[in-house]
Amino acid sequence: MTKDELKDYVSSHFDGKLTPLDTGRYDPMFQVKSEDLMEVARALKADENLQFDYLCNLAGVDTKEHFEAVYSIASISNNLRLDFKVILPYDKAEIESVQEVWPGINWYEREIWELYGINVLNHGNLKRFLLPDDWDQGHPMRKDWDAPDFERMPEF
Amino acid sequence: MGIIRKVPHYAEKIPGGGIITTALETVLHQAQAKSLWYLLFGTACCAIELMCTGASRYDFDRLGMIYRATPRQSDLIIVAGTITKKMAPRLRRLYDQMAEPRYVIAMGGCTISGGPFYYDSYAVEKGIDHIIPVDIYIPGCPPRPESLLEGCIHLQEKIKKQKLSDWQEK
Repeated sequence: MTKDELKDYVSSHFDGKLTPLDTGRYDPMFQVKSEDLMEVARALKADENLQFDYLCNLAGVDTKEHFEAVYSIASISNNLRLDFKVILPYDKAEIESVQEVWPGINWYEREIWELYGINVLNHGNLKRFLLPDDWDQGHPMRKDWDAPDFERMPEF
Repeated sequence: MGIIRKVPHYAEKIPGGGIITTALETVLHQAQAKSLWYLLFGTACCAIELMCTGASRYDFDRLGMIYRATPRQSDLIIVAGTITKKMAPRLRRLYDQMAEPRYVIAMGGCTISGGPFYYDSYAVEKGIDHIIPVDIYIPGCPPRPESLLEGCIHLQEKIKKQKLSDWQEK
């Protein structure tokens, strides 16, 4: 299945819950509503023609307007790659844990919780991960983050 | 072998005897300067240059520098690489475990000021002199082995200029 075929297949199936975004020559990218996340994750893994059984990455993004959680998944058996993202508003930055589908996402979810402050529901082990154990200065990857010894790059 | 060559210079021969007299300070500090065992502490790319300096081309051994894997046997800690805020207490702990007299070389931009991670970083300590006292700073990103060798020679000069009372009281 080529990238274009994959894009068409995923857009036309799954009740239109995955909206395709324009990514040019890169892997197809879709947008998913946060309430559909679990359903979409289960369906992508269960679909016979896709079998997305491998989670590559979960990235957090702060666009200064909202947060994004970007999931990169792959299918080992069908040699496919696909990304989808969930947009989360600042005032309700929480997301469902998809460990049930891809157990390897555990640490990535801890990471975005720690660095962006995106709350992960039903995670089970949401505790300090990469930052020092006694860290008390909030979520450093947020765009509006600041600390006493933090220097922002000056404009040149 | 430097110390052997310098002994006749400082020592006074007693006619007919095999005894020489010399200043304890000179002998002790010469000995100390010529056998600085350093703790292996490499956290980033500076460690590659440190390894290269220790290997046969630059031959760190000729300055009496031998690597040790434990702070309890080390006289010197060459901090080679970025020190993050999470690493800082561990560095302090290693330094505290070293026996006196002990010396510190800050190798590379990261250990001097945070280097390329000075801006926009929440994780990097901006200079190890916030954590431990530093004797020699070696700039560079990373410094070449020649710079490291020169830094070590400067440290040896510094040690030789010490007074005996300095390190007794320390």
